[in-house]
Amino acid sequence: MSSLYERLGGEKAVDAAVDLFYRRVLADGRIARFFEGVNMEDQLAKQKAFLTMAFGGPNKYTGTDMRKAHEKLVAKGLNDMHVDAVVENLSTTLRQLGVAEMEVQEVAALANSVRNDVLNR
Amino acid sequence: MTLLTYREAAIEIEPGEDVLSALLRAEIDAPHSCRSGVCQSCMHRAVEGKPPAAAQQGLSEAQKALGYFLACVCVPDTPLTVVPAQEAESRAEAVVHSIDRLSGEVVRLRLEHDADFAYRPGQFLELIAGDGLGRHYSIASLPEEDPFVELHIRLHPGGRMSRFIAEELAPRRRLHIAGPLGTCIYEGVDPDQPMTLIGSGTGLAPLIGVLRDALRRGHRGPIRLYHGARERDGLYLHDHLAALTEKHANLSYVSRVLSDPGPQGGDVATAALEYEDALPHTAFFLCGGEKLVGRLKRDLYLKGASLKQMRSDTFLPASASR
Repeated sequence: MSSLYERLGGEKAVDAAVDLFYRRVLADGRIARFFEGVNMEDQLAKQKAFLTMAFGGPNKYTGTDMRKAHEKLVAKGLNDMHVDAVVENLSTTLRQLGVAEMEVQEVAALANSVRNDVLNR
Repeated sequence: MTLLTYREAAIEIEPGEDVLSALLRAEIDAPHSCRSGVCQSCMHRAVEGKPPAAAQQGLSEAQKALGYFLACVCVPDTPLTVVPAQEAESRAEAVVHSIDRLSGEVVRLRLEHDADFAYRPGQFLELIAGDGLGRHYSIASLPEEDPFVELHIRLHPGGRMSRFIAEELAPRRRLHIAGPLGTCIYEGVDPDQPMTLIGSGTGLAPLIGVLRDALRRGHRGPIRLYHGARERDGLYLHDHLAALTEKHANLSYVSRVLSDPGPQGGDVATAALEYEDALPHTAFFLCGGEKLVGRLKRDLYLKGASLKQMRSDTFLPASASR
């Protein structure tokens, strides 16, 4: 059986999803404020790294990086509700791209697996 | 033969080893994070040699053409000389060719330089007037046609460089330039693609460079140039641009003056956001202050434009120099 990343279509699929996903996130009033003033190109590259991880693709994910990256946002009130919103936007993007429900759930589970690191718990 | 050179120093690199690992082993404090070619924090630029294609995956066409690459996935097979992404490669002597007022506040400075100062229109350079006095300015000229680099400089009352330019610069005066830097160039654009250039103030300079480059390369798609200024006098190339639209059927020019209450008045970003359609297919070039560029990038993207198709150059105040 091929890996989740291969079934989704690898890097091409990540490229197709990341633009739609990040646009959705920025337009989402629940979480948009955490992205104010960020460099959009840098942020898109980071979102791509996140999607690659959530798609089960090759990554050198470290909890420490994720914790450090979100430390300041947690201080600004980042909580479970906001992580839920991100995962929701990711699932909606995948459905929009015609990804099957089983794979959508797998991606959501991988995205959720970093929740505690993101929230610095 | 040395496979890897960092600035001037030869760096030891093992067969199959990536550039980032070699730099870190040599105790060079190279920024990095994901180490898998995704996050782009380890970006460097090859000033000699060509990085392998795998090390340029995910970069823009402009970045690729200018030699940028990701050190963490770069296993060189031919010699490379690399510098940090934001470091200018060369410093050259320049001589003032001419200096003219384009408006009450804007000066056009043309500098003759050595042939080995290679640049692409739309990039920027550092003008160095003396000890500790250097400022970044975008390049409006075309190396294939102009025997000089052309800069448009807004004079700030009380600015050190402004005072130097207004009071001391004259033809034949020698000074230094360093660079070039910047990726806001005509690269990765399809000749039939719609092109939109938006700038305020002397943000027009790089856009003129890009526009001339595009026309010289035979760009056929529609080109829209938006220029905004605070006062009417700030539309410092208005007549020239209006005349240019007569010569090129695919070029249109829209100007906005912030202080003008009439229909041609208002904010250039608002005008552009209102007029722009065909967003996902358009190549954008955005130049000006941080607020303008940030707002355009975000709002155009939210309206459906592709971030990959946006090239930009943000002008920062001297205190926060790029």
